[in-house]
Amino acid sequence: MSQRKKSVSASQNKTQRRSQASLNEDEEASFSQVSSSQVQRARENFTSDQIDRKVAEVVQFILIKDQKKMPIRRADIVKHVIKDYKLLYTDIINRVCRTFEQVFGLKLVETDPKNHIYILINKLDPIQGEPVSMRPVNPKKGLLFVILSVIFMKGGVIKENLVWNSLKKLRVDPGEKHDEFGDVKKVVTDEFVRQKYLEYVKIPHTEPVEYEFRWGLRSEKEVSKLKMLEFVGELFEQDPQSWTQQFREASTVDSSSQRTSS
Amino acid sequence: MSDTRRRSRGSQEEPAGPSNGVGVRNRSERTGDMGDEDDVVGGPSGISEEDDDPTRRREIRSKYRDLINQVQQNREDMLNPANNKLTDVLEEANKLFVNVRQAREAALDAQLLVLATDLGKEKASQLHAEGSAFDPSAFAEHLLSFMGLNRLEDESGQDGHLEGYLPQGAWQKLANRSESCFKTAPSFHYMLGSFLAEPPPPRQRVERQRRVPSKEAKRIMPTQLKQMEESHQEATEKEVERILGCLQRYFADDSGEPISYYEFVIDPNSFSRTVENIFHTSFLIRDGLVRMFLDNDELPCIAPVEEGEIEPGGASIRHQCVISINQESWREIIDAFDIKEALIPVPEVLSQES
Repeated sequence: MSQRKKSVSASQNKTQRRSQASLNEDEEASFSQVSSSQVQRARENFTSDQIDRKVAEVVQFILIKDQKKMPIRRADIVKHVIKDYKLLYTDIINRVCRTFEQVFGLKLVETDPKNHIYILINKLDPIQGEPVSMRPVNPKKGLLFVILSVIFMKGGVIKENLVWNSLKKLRVDPGEKHDEFGDVKKVVTDEFVRQKYLEYVKIPHTEPVEYEFRWGLRSEKEVSKLKMLEFVGELFEQDPQSWTQQFREASTVDSSSQRTSS
Repeated sequence: MSDTRRRSRGSQEEPAGPSNGVGVRNRSERTGDMGDEDDVVGGPSGISEEDDDPTRRREIRSKYRDLINQVQQNREDMLNPANNKLTDVLEEANKLFVNVRQAREAALDAQLLVLATDLGKEKASQLHAEGSAFDPSAFAEHLLSFMGLNRLEDESGQDGHLEGYLPQGAWQKLANRSESCFKTAPSFHYMLGSFLAEPPPPRQRVERQRRVPSKEAKRIMPTQLKQMEESHQEATEKEVERILGCLQRYFADDSGEPISYYEFVIDPNSFSRTVENIFHTSFLIRDGLVRMFLDNDELPCIAPVEEGEIEPGGASIRHQCVISINQESWREIIDAFDIKEALIPVPEVLSQES
C-alpha cells in the first residue's frame, strides 16, 4: 500500500517538474533565439532615457524583493518590470549589476544558472562592531548561525537530529512554540531553506524518513567560514587553527571567493 | 512427492555462505509476513528438519538481539578509537550467520549490520579529524554563557531538566555578534517616513469616550471638548514651568549671574526646538517671572525675577518686543557664541524626532 502512495506522489512530482521544465524551455527559447540583429533593432526602438528608467525600475524591484531574502526569479523580473524591453534583457541586467556594485556596494549573484535565480549579497566585508544597517539585526540570524556553524564544524553534512538536539540545549525546542522564533521547525526547514540558507535533504533508503542538513547556496556566497571559525574559537577559547580540517577549508574558500569577487 | 521436493530444495540449502543467503531471500519474497509459520516444523516450506529446529532458531535470534542491545547500549564505548569492540561484534555476527537459514534471523542480522555500519561511519569520521574534535554539546554550553544564561543556584537540576533561563535580549546579542560573519545585503527600507507615526493608544481612548456619550443627551459633548482644550493649554504650561525650573537652577548654580539669552534658548541640534524655546520663554517674560535686559556688552540676558520683585498686575514698566529668528541667524549665533549643547534639555516625549 505504501508503494502505491509513493508512486502516486512520484508521478505528481513528475508532472509538476515537466510543466516547470516546459515553462523554463519556453523561457529559454525566447531568450536564446534572440539574434544580435534583433537586439540591435530593439536598442534603436527605445530612447536611452527609457532604457535608463527600466534599469532603475529593475534595481528597485530587486531591492524590494530582497527584503525577505527570498531568491528572485528572472521570470518575475521580466514579467513585472521588463515587459516590452525583453529583448534588451542582457543589456539591462548588465547595467543593473554595475549599478548595484558601484552605487550600492552590493552584488547580484546568479545562484542557479539553469533556472536563472538571483540573490543579492553585500560586496563589502563587514567590520565587527559596526552595524550593517540602521535596523537591529533579526534574532533569527543567531539561530541560523548556530545551525550553520554546527554543520560546518561537523564536516558539511549532518543528520537533522544533531541540529534539533543542539537547539534543545539552547532552550529552543522544535516541538514547542518559541517566544522569539515561533514555529522553530518551520523557520528552520521551510523559511531558511526557501531563502537558500540551508538545504534540507531526504536521506535515501531510510525508514522512517530521515533528513540531513547542508549549507544552502546563499550561505556559500554570504558566509565567511573563516570569521565563523574565529568566533567559534573565541567561544571555546581555542586557537581556530587547532581545528585543522575546518581551518583548511575556511582558508581556501575565503581566498577563492575573493578571487571571484571581481 | 513432497520428499523429492524437500530434497531438491534442501540441496539448494546445503552449501553454506552467500548462496545460503540468496536462497533465504528468495523465500522471504514469496512468503512475506512470517507470523506463526516459523515455528511449524518442516512441511510445506520444504526445509530440512535440522534447519527448521525452533529451539535452535530461537537461540540464534536471542543471540542476535543480545548483540543489537550491546551495540545500542554501549554506543560511546564502541566509538572509542582505543578498542576494537565493534569488530568483535561483527565477528560474532559472522559466526551466528553461518547457521541462519530463514528470513527472520537474517532480518535481525541485517538490523545489526545497519547499526554497526552507522557506528563504523562515525568511527571513520573520527579518524579524519586530525585537529581537535568538535563537540556540539560543549558548543551549546559556550553559546549559553555568551548569551548570558542565568544559572539558578537554588534549583537542583533533575536529569533532562535544563537549568537556568536566558535573559531577554539573548538571541539578539548572538545575532549581533554573528552578523559580522555574513555578507548580507542590508534590507531596503525608507530612511524617513512621510510623517511621524504616533502610537495609537491615545486615539483609541478618545474614540471610546466619544461613543458612550452619543447615546445620552448632547450635553456631554461640550464638556468633552473643553477637556481637550485644557489638555493643550496644560501641555504648554507644563513646558513653560519646566523651562522656568531650568532657568532658576542655572541661575542658582551660576551664583546669581544672569544668563545670556541666546545661550539659553538656542538648541544647536534643532532649529524647531530653538523656536519653541523662544516661544515658551516669552510666556515667562509676559507673566513677569523672568526679566530680560541688555548687559554691558549690549547683549540680551535673562534672569529669574526675585521673590519680592514680582508684582502681579504689572505695575512695573513693561516693554514689548518682537523676536525673530531664521535658520541663517540661528547658525550664525551658534558659531558666534560657540554653543555646543542646549541648555534647555529636550523633553522626553518628543525625543524621537530629528
